[in-house]
Amino acid sequence: MTDIAHATIVMERNYAASPARVFAAWADVDARKRWSAPADGIRIEYEAAEFREGGRDISRCIEAGNADYVAVVHYLDIRQDARIVFAEDVSHGDRRVSAALISVELSPVGARTRLLLTMQIASFDGAGMESGYQFGWNAALDNLAKEFNA
Amino acid sequence: MTSTTHASFIIERRYQHAPKRVFAAWSDPQAKRAWFVEGEGWDIRSYEMDFHEGGEEKSSFRFVKGEETFGEETLFSNDTVFNEIIANERIIFTYSMARNGARFSISLASVEFSAEGQGTRLVFTEHAAFFDGADGVHMREAGWQELLLKLGDHLDKQGFGQ
Amino acid sequence: MTKRATTHATFVIERTLKHPPAKVFAAYADLTQKAKWFGGPPEWTRSTHTLDFRVGGRESESGGPHDGPEHTMNALYWDIVQNERIVMSYEMLLGPTRISVSLGTTEFKPAPEGTTLTYTEQGVFLDGFDDAGGRERGTHELLDQLVACLNS
Repeated sequence: MTDIAHATIVMERNYAASPARVFAAWADVDARKRWSAPADGIRIEYEAAEFREGGRDISRCIEAGNADYVAVVHYLDIRQDARIVFAEDVSHGDRRVSAALISVELSPVGARTRLLLTMQIASFDGAGMESGYQFGWNAALDNLAKEFNA
Repeated sequence: MTSTTHASFIIERRYQHAPKRVFAAWSDPQAKRAWFVEGEGWDIRSYEMDFHEGGEEKSSFRFVKGEETFGEETLFSNDTVFNEIIANERIIFTYSMARNGARFSISLASVEFSAEGQGTRLVFTEHAAFFDGADGVHMREAGWQELLLKLGDHLDKQGFGQ
Repeated sequence: MTKRATTHATFVIERTLKHPPAKVFAAYADLTQKAKWFGGPPEWTRSTHTLDFRVGGRESESGGPHDGPEHTMNALYWDIVQNERIVMSYEMLLGPTRISVSLGTTEFKPAPEGTTLTYTEQGVFLDGFDDAGGRERGTHELLDQLVACLNS
């Protein structure tokens, strides 16, 4: 079977911070480790982190009792404080489960920032990764708001 | 260039049967088929109904006088999706009508059932978009007038028990 | 028990846009474009927006104010004529409660300036939760956002 399930998902948030601060929370790998873990009991470890055009991240999503998800990100386009476009493939155990093109767009709304996240996903495990992206990124984007508290 | 016209109509009917029985004639596939699909001049090709929110009802039927009316064998089809079902109270559904595979209308309809004395007041409201002048609202309204009469006949034939 | 009530209403909005029909149509057909103009106010959160733009395909969008109920739109596409017409039905939910079911027709006609867009909504508003006036105002705002997006 070589069936691919395609899905496009868009999410949007409005953060109490300038685009520069929101952008910095993506660029800084320590910040990203804090906010990108979708739930208690899940942690993200980076084996490589190169936030620049042409750079590559390798991260491991670790949850007790479950094989790690390994995400490899290639940064395709980065515009300071405005946008980040990257390709991401995800493997679970020895299987690649999805490949996605993801863009993050930041625009100022008064003193705040509107973030638009667009994910175009080719999923190799049926609808599983589509719901995985839904869950994971909704939680991560909610966590990101906490970076701007106080 | 496509053209689309929009229209709405309301039909109100009273039946001498309780809302529960009138509603059952919409919810039970056999009963629904009897008054909604079966009819003189029509040759039923297929009928299926999955009566729950999000479920579909599909029917296709050959118009026996198709050749003389339209100059060709004529197959109509109705594809329905149920948007909301509240037992004995309300049904909202959306449907398309097609002739020989070409859609000519899309409609949104609501059917409301309320108790009135021993019987039921039924209010049927349809909003429709008709494409390229086909099957205008007058024909559609006449069609539902006829169907709601058939519904009454069907209920009367079933008797007044239960 | 909720008192059952329905209000039926139709409204029509026409806009003239300075862009050809194909460009305006694409702003409806492609989620990456549609997501830029179709949605709640800028301070709202959007937890998901998906679109399968074909006859029989579905669209789902949900979001809401930070501390308010989730607003969900679920649509089903009934008829699509490339660059000319889109007919969809959709329901709106406030939290778990369905507040309306509507039929929406969008027509795109070439005009000397670009495109005349006509949106016709025929709706049934349920149990007193929403009304056609509010929906019409909301749709005007969406079309303002569409125009701003196409002009940018």
